[in-house]
Amino acid sequence: MLRVEEAKKPQESFYTQKFSPQKVVIPLSQHTGALPIPIVKKKDRVKVGEVLAQPQALISSTIHSSIAGEVIGIKEGPHPLLKRCKSFIIEAGKESPDRFEDFGSIPEEGIKELGSSEILSLIKEAGIVGLGGAGFPTHIKLTPPKKVDTLIVNGCECEPYLTCDFRLMIEHTEAILKGIEIVARILEVRKVYIAIEENKLEAVKRFNSKLHTKKYLLPQTEVKVLESLYPQGAEKQLIYSLTKRKVPSGKLPFDVGCVVQNVGTCFAIYEAVYFRKPLIERIVTFAGSSLVEPKNLLVRIGTTLKELFEKEVLKFKREPKKIIFGGPMMGVALDSLDYPIIKTTSGVLFLSEEDLDLREESSCIKCGRCLDNCPMRLLPLEFVRLVKKELWQKLEEFCISDCIECGSCSFVCPAKIPIVNYIKAGKEKLRTSKSKA
Amino acid sequence: MKLVVEVSPHKKARYDTAWIMKQVVVALSPAIIASVIFFRMRAVFLILVCILGAVLSERLWTYLRKRPSTLGDYSAVVTGLLLALVLPPKLPLWVGFLGGVVSIILGKQIFGGLGQNIFNPALVGRAFLMAAFPVMLTSWVEPFSLDAVSRATPLALWKFSGEFTPLRDLFLGRISGSLGETSSLALILGGGYLLLRKIADWRAPLGMFLGAFFLSGVFYLINPSNGSIAFHLFSGGMLLGIFFMVTDPVTTPTTKLGRFLFGLFVGLLVIILRKYSGLPEGVMYSILIMNGFSPLINKLTIPKSFGR
Repeated sequence: MLRVEEAKKPQESFYTQKFSPQKVVIPLSQHTGALPIPIVKKKDRVKVGEVLAQPQALISSTIHSSIAGEVIGIKEGPHPLLKRCKSFIIEAGKESPDRFEDFGSIPEEGIKELGSSEILSLIKEAGIVGLGGAGFPTHIKLTPPKKVDTLIVNGCECEPYLTCDFRLMIEHTEAILKGIEIVARILEVRKVYIAIEENKLEAVKRFNSKLHTKKYLLPQTEVKVLESLYPQGAEKQLIYSLTKRKVPSGKLPFDVGCVVQNVGTCFAIYEAVYFRKPLIERIVTFAGSSLVEPKNLLVRIGTTLKELFEKEVLKFKREPKKIIFGGPMMGVALDSLDYPIIKTTSGVLFLSEEDLDLREESSCIKCGRCLDNCPMRLLPLEFVRLVKKELWQKLEEFCISDCIECGSCSFVCPAKIPIVNYIKAGKEKLRTSKSKA
Repeated sequence: MKLVVEVSPHKKARYDTAWIMKQVVVALSPAIIASVIFFRMRAVFLILVCILGAVLSERLWTYLRKRPSTLGDYSAVVTGLLLALVLPPKLPLWVGFLGGVVSIILGKQIFGGLGQNIFNPALVGRAFLMAAFPVMLTSWVEPFSLDAVSRATPLALWKFSGEFTPLRDLFLGRISGSLGETSSLALILGGGYLLLRKIADWRAPLGMFLGAFFLSGVFYLINPSNGSIAFHLFSGGMLLGIFFMVTDPVTTPTTKLGRFLFGLFVGLLVIILRKYSGLPEGVMYSILIMNGFSPLINKLTIPKSFGR
């Protein structure tokens, strides 16, 4: 793992602000798995939190309206990861989008009486997916086919710039712990780790002081301070750091008795179970040298970047040259401000000229820095060589499918070879050749 | 709004290949300074012609092949510099220039340029000169001798007349030998910088050190006239090899274990050649031989990926 300039100042100390948009673009795909089926039509009026699409397949998720208004269209729209995706376009009209429905909270004692299946269906109906970035439907992750003994709550946030998880941990420590309580109860684990990097000691302190009160119904729970290294928060690496268990290639965490949940997901679970609140908003970090001021905003799902600038919630001081959904190491660069925030968006970065790295690819000098820094212990330089030679089948011998595309290899490459680019091309080629066969 | 769209990561390390090469030059500066102290203007001129030969031939090559100039990566400078440091100070300047040309053309460019060559270019240049001008390549002068009093190297004195040079002289460099090889102190300073700043990986140097340490120790125990461990480590091209030759990324294995094994075999081979070959020195041939094995070592040392 490597040290990367953190760039979390000053936004790490900025309180989250709320923003409610007039118009939202809510894509059907905001998670891993099948697309849900729309149950509203064009011109329907919808309330905040009303279900827009229901899952049919097992691995899928529910989509809700994040504002009250009218469905003005169900059509292809911009999608930060897929480029295009069928989306609900909803306009608030004259109604104030801020008006929050009461989803019907239940008293604390009532929560304790809820059975696992009731809680799971609440989580499922709330449309909760992994908020760390993968977007795997949470209710599936919480019903592993094997018994697990360890829950890892991921508060590493190892991507530079991003501070949304940190702010959440600071501002909603108790709620996250209540969410963890629920998850630990469903999974019946014996051990809970809350993993936080050492550049977020304030969060560590808050968790520890809350845990000290002993008012939570938790199994043995430990706040683990990890070195601020990238990619500390990658699932397999995190499990290994904490438990010394290695998730075998092609297997999932439950195969080694672990479930990993992001702190944001735990918070969403808390809100879903305690307040029946669906996942219609999340904290997103907006940062980068093009902005007058970086911000952590609690925004509704479907809010477009354009509206944030039109309403002057965000302001440019310099022309952006690159807009990134996600962090700088794994995020996706986009071509306009038309894209909406989706459930898995943890940050949006606006980089100006000075932050661009325009150095061109030069010859590989075989220095081995890429493999020295590969958290999966792969040979990235071999992938580049094989892709250039179009030796697609050989890529599998070098376990290309194990690559998590964390970007460490490209980062350390002195020849500035866009290694991840080659790896993605290689994986894509293998995928298409397999589907043809 | 014109936006750049490219694949992640969007941040990259500040250093690049040219920076690494320049750092190698920085790390070689103690040895360069030492060579100028011991051999005065001869050192300055020889270093300059070797670099000139390397740089000019590289530029001419890319010009003739209608490729963009590659001088910006500074690898030709490093090659020329390393070549100069492994040549005898008395060498006629035109021979040094020729060596620089051969290093770049035969050592690097005919394989396809930086990153493609199998053998260490500077050592290819030296091996060529050794074959073409054997007498010139084995004529040594005493340090500080402005009128060029000839004197055999410590390894030759040991090999051919059983005479040992005091360790203090070996360490400081008041001995005859190749331009940059005489002062162990200077090489350790520069090499230490290279490893501590992580410009070069430590595995190959450690391997070579251990290989030479182990085998020279065994031979010394059998018969002290084989030379002590310190004698072997501080004489000839051993330290230059440890710090600056087996750390050449291009011609050595890329896997971690491979790098160590490469160094280890070079270290063992140096001592074997010093003892059993007809020549007193063996660093150059050991490294060139092992360069040829790098692809094989790579293949045999592919690490198991995480979770397999």
